[in-house]
Amino acid sequence: MSTLPAWLSDERLSADIAPMLSESSGASLERLATEAQALTLRRFGRIVSLYAPLYLSNFCSSGCAYCGFASDRKTPRRRLETGEIEKELVAMKSLGIGDVLLLTGERTSSAGYDYLRRAVETAARHMPRVAVEAFPMTVSEYRGLAESGCTAVTIYQETYDPENYRKLHRWGPKRDFLERLETPERALLGGIRSVGVGALLGLSEPVGEALAMARHVRHLCKTYWKAGIAVSFPRIRPQEGGYQPAYTVDDRFLARMIFAFRIGMPDVELVLSTRETPRFRDGMAGIGITRMSIASRTTVGGYHDPDSAGSSQFEVSDDRSAEAFCQALRSKHLEPVFKNWDTAYNGPVNSEEPACS
Amino acid sequence: MDSLQLGSYEFSSRLILGTGKFSSTRVMLDAVRASGTQLVTVALRRFNREQAEDDLFGPLSEIGGITIMPNTSGAATAREAVRAAHISRELSGSPFVKVEIHPNPHHLMPDPIETYEACRILAGEGFLVMPYIPADPVLSKRLEEVGCTSVMPLGSAIGSGQGLSTAEMVRIIIRESNIPVIVDAGLRSPSEACAAMEMGCDAVLVNSAVAVSSDPVAMASAFAEAVQAGRRAKLAGIMPRSGSAVATSPLTSFLGTAS
Repeated sequence: MSTLPAWLSDERLSADIAPMLSESSGASLERLATEAQALTLRRFGRIVSLYAPLYLSNFCSSGCAYCGFASDRKTPRRRLETGEIEKELVAMKSLGIGDVLLLTGERTSSAGYDYLRRAVETAARHMPRVAVEAFPMTVSEYRGLAESGCTAVTIYQETYDPENYRKLHRWGPKRDFLERLETPERALLGGIRSVGVGALLGLSEPVGEALAMARHVRHLCKTYWKAGIAVSFPRIRPQEGGYQPAYTVDDRFLARMIFAFRIGMPDVELVLSTRETPRFRDGMAGIGITRMSIASRTTVGGYHDPDSAGSSQFEVSDDRSAEAFCQALRSKHLEPVFKNWDTAYNGPVNSEEPACS
Repeated sequence: MDSLQLGSYEFSSRLILGTGKFSSTRVMLDAVRASGTQLVTVALRRFNREQAEDDLFGPLSEIGGITIMPNTSGAATAREAVRAAHISRELSGSPFVKVEIHPNPHHLMPDPIETYEACRILAGEGFLVMPYIPADPVLSKRLEEVGCTSVMPLGSAIGSGQGLSTAEMVRIIIRESNIPVIVDAGLRSPSEACAAMEMGCDAVLVNSAVAVSSDPVAMASAFAEAVQAGRRAKLAGIMPRSGSAVATSPLTSFLGTAS
């Protein structure tokens, strides 16, 4: 294996987060929650930014043991064509959504870069903010996505434990730990404004994962000063393939982890998806979490025609409608915000072009 | 009448309100009314023509007596801010633009270089340009030279509630400036707004301190009163602070008395 970057084991980058992750540290969960809420309120106010995922394709070339779309699953494969993507976007817009996350599997000939770039162009005609969660790309490919209207790229490392990573990623391009680890940096070098990082919680020992994530965020912030960073906290959900997580990450630990990140990183976006239950999502909104997915369909084609959309990547836990979820936020005196971006700010961020011609 | 003059516009209120971060549009509108403000700023990001419930501009434009100043929050470069200003003017019809350029989306500190460039272009195009800037007296004069309508130095980081931590720099900016100086960002309490006005600021802009209060409407009204009190005190003439007591044996007795 290639040499791992120094930041991955640099304990100074996670020294403030580490004590907060331990229950025996004396930092009670309630005290952490109080501090996290105050920081969230001060920096982000009483709003929660909303987005929704759009699954473009479930073709995949990798063999991730924990994923319902891995290439050995029997699930029927499908990709949305431009007209279908338009229909999905229109259906999403009717729910109010103005911020979309486009997803694919690992790169295949059926759903590769050109396909993805066309999908970004289509989405950017409908949505003020377009993000992508797909396969690792080159710097110039990311620049192409940014030029097409992609604002953000999410790329989870899944696990920061290299040994475990190798066992879980049984075949395919995703086997290369280091290549994936450096993907957010290539996205930023390509002019993508914001990158989302995270570990799929349950794959490896959770405290170690949290510390590695914290180091990753700090490394990115120090190296790329214009970068927006978002941190997600996905826990493994039941999926086709039936992978059983090796580690349990209970609600209390996940909450502790989110509070620790908020306290250590007061101005970074912290994201929670519909993988989590309504009870947990409602509880965490505004006390650390600032960005949430809504009315999610994790099937290909799930918004326009949910009945024929096929199988999902994973089961969602919060299947409330957009309206029901917004109502829950409002009852907590939080404002759900569907549009918190504008196309005026799309395009590669580190472009050196003159301000005006 | 004592009024705040911005371009050809006159405002009797010297409190400018930001409209983000509130728990609901209804609460925000109530706070705007309670503040007596006549000038509010709205991020282009929060204009939403496609979904009325998510839109901040529409409801604000229906309140009488309010001028809307779109802002470019989200822009990382001069180019993006200029583009945002053009779109904002198209959508709102307002001649004002609050130029906010923060390339780092975490601490949101304004970029002086990109801000200068955007202001130069937009002032040349006839906008009433109100830049959010670091509290830098040199940059302030440079922006005055390119035709900005006001300068808006930060009191402290956006949303930090650290108050007027830049007071000494703001004092120099006020002393030197020929255009209105408006403290923007960081104010936590009405007393801090009052102090900024007593110092000689022409107005203050507040958002988080009102939006995240438990009672934003009451807080908006408290800020309004504090800004008025500070302005009246400034106009009335504040007693100078004496640096030391007067010595019983004057240092200049050896000079004798004037003949």
